Amino acid sequence: MKFETRHLFEKYTDKETFDNIKEYATLVEMLESSVRRYGDDPAITDATGAYSYRDLDRDVAAFRGALKARGILPGARVGIIGANSYQLVKAFLGVTTYGCTAVVLPMQLDDKTVFGCSMKFAMNALVYHDAFEEKIAFARSTNKNLVCLSWSEAGDAVPAAEVTGETPCVIMFTGGTTGKSKGALLTHRAILQGTVNGCYGYKDVFGQRYMLALPLSHIFGLVRNMLTPLYTGSHVFICKTPKDLFSDIAVFKPTVLVLVPALAEMALNLSRKFNRNMLGADMKYIICGAAAVAPYLIEEYAKIGITVFPGYGLTESANLVSGNPEQGAKPESVGIPYPHQEFKIVDGELWLKGLNMMEGYVGEAEENANAYEDGWFKTGDLVRLDEDGFLYIVGRSKDIIVLSNGENVSPAEVETYFNALPTVQDSQVYEDVLENGVHILAVEVVPRITELARMGVTNVAEYLENQLKEVNTTLPSHMKITKFIVRDSDFERTPSMKIVRYKKCN
Amino acid sequence: MQLSRKEILEKLQDIMISINDNDRERIEACTEQTRLVEDLGLTSVGMLYLVIVLEESFRIKFEDVGAATFSTVAKVIDYIEEKIK
Repeated sequence: MKFETRHLFEKYTDKETFDNIKEYATLVEMLESSVRRYGDDPAITDATGAYSYRDLDRDVAAFRGALKARGILPGARVGIIGANSYQLVKAFLGVTTYGCTAVVLPMQLDDKTVFGCSMKFAMNALVYHDAFEEKIAFARSTNKNLVCLSWSEAGDAVPAAEVTGETPCVIMFTGGTTGKSKGALLTHRAILQGTVNGCYGYKDVFGQRYMLALPLSHIFGLVRNMLTPLYTGSHVFICKTPKDLFSDIAVFKPTVLVLVPALAEMALNLSRKFNRNMLGADMKYIICGAAAVAPYLIEEYAKIGITVFPGYGLTESANLVSGNPEQGAKPESVGIPYPHQEFKIVDGELWLKGLNMMEGYVGEAEENANAYEDGWFKTGDLVRLDEDGFLYIVGRSKDIIVLSNGENVSPAEVETYFNALPTVQDSQVYEDVLENGVHILAVEVVPRITELARMGVTNVAEYLENQLKEVNTTLPSHMKITKFIVRDSDFERTPSMKIVRYKKCN
Repeated sequence: MQLSRKEILEKLQDIMISINDNDRERIEACTEQTRLVEDLGLTSVGMLYLVIVLEESFRIKFEDVGAATFSTVAKVIDYIEEKIK
């Protein structure tokens, strides 16, 4: 089913604004247009200062010069790692408008994983924040073909490359619908469609003030919190750390916030605690996503004149698939599919096609074979559609655990750490609820009795639990396990011998 | 500002109750040895909330913090004591 829904969004803003929402095929066209239209307006402010659209254009051209000077050619794959900052945005735009594919690495990756990514994604170069020297040292010394350059390097201005909508633009990390981390390849056209989708459904689109607290290595942060603002001539203030969000808000007075629901809820609680609106008097919109948005949040914010927009999107769809409009929103739904979004519902599961969709997971033939059917991307999300064309998420994909802060944890990925122990035969990581209502991650393991017997271990449960806890200390913070259970029998299995996964939380 | 560890603990308890009022009993019963994640179920967002309110309440500035920064209530009190010296 293809919904040409652009006309449905026309009524939510004035004609002039709506006609200004133009569709571009590439980041090069978008950036040229924004510089032409908003040249001296502020584009980005961070701890180092304020930069206009013209400044950004100049620095992006100089960074293309730095890439060229280091022998990097258009078509190369270029990793980028560093904290949210003007420099990160400049590096991203420099790489992509030079015709290279950016691989935006999450900043919390350790040095071995950075190296692993450089190999897995066949990176030709790695751009880094100077403070991340240690994180790239292993990749630099081990991967001899990798050109490493600081993002503060600059060269003579080089014009943008002749990219098309089909030119690969970025590889973004995702847990996907099946588990392990992988890279979704998105073209310029897909990224631009995602960017433009962020303009539909509300009145005040252009010339806003956005606050950026989400990581730019997450598609929601990159597309909705950076590229849509730059497309609309808005001004983005980059928070140094999330804890400074509210003190920064008091100074910058943003009109739009892009948040995960847990942070939106925290802002509400803080406002109550301090008896003042922590989001400032100018705040109009909160774009809320990456996890389910509780309808009560929408209602509470409406009372203080702030509209919360729940929507739905995936890394694989360049962020936005559907969104609620400003008026006539349905708080329980994830809104109306955006223009050009092709979709169908097969056995309750949402399947997608369209300009915003990824080309596939990089180097994952098996994952790709499972992810698509007849050219449709199978989201793994169960949905229903109402008579007005609003989508509702009925259930999340069966494996991924979405924590309340919006972070995705892939159980399969965490399990690989525990399964690496010779004393563990199999394991299952799942979300559990403690007696006090707190959601935690738990692991259950089946001991490999033969190995334990060989080692002469008598108290299997105690011995194994200690081993699991030791592994736990090495896990990234969002994967940390709180509850450990050593089983005395195997898991229940499907006919194909896959573990029947627990569903203790919904 | 001169506060005893007991006074800091009481302020901490007030703040944590405001994060999760459903858990009032457990928080009121907590001691310096209580663990923030395992015993009180503090999430990364809960930690952020705690830090923001502590900064405002004690007029101090924390370094960047994550959910793993403080394992127990005692560690938070140590940090605040050091900052308000």
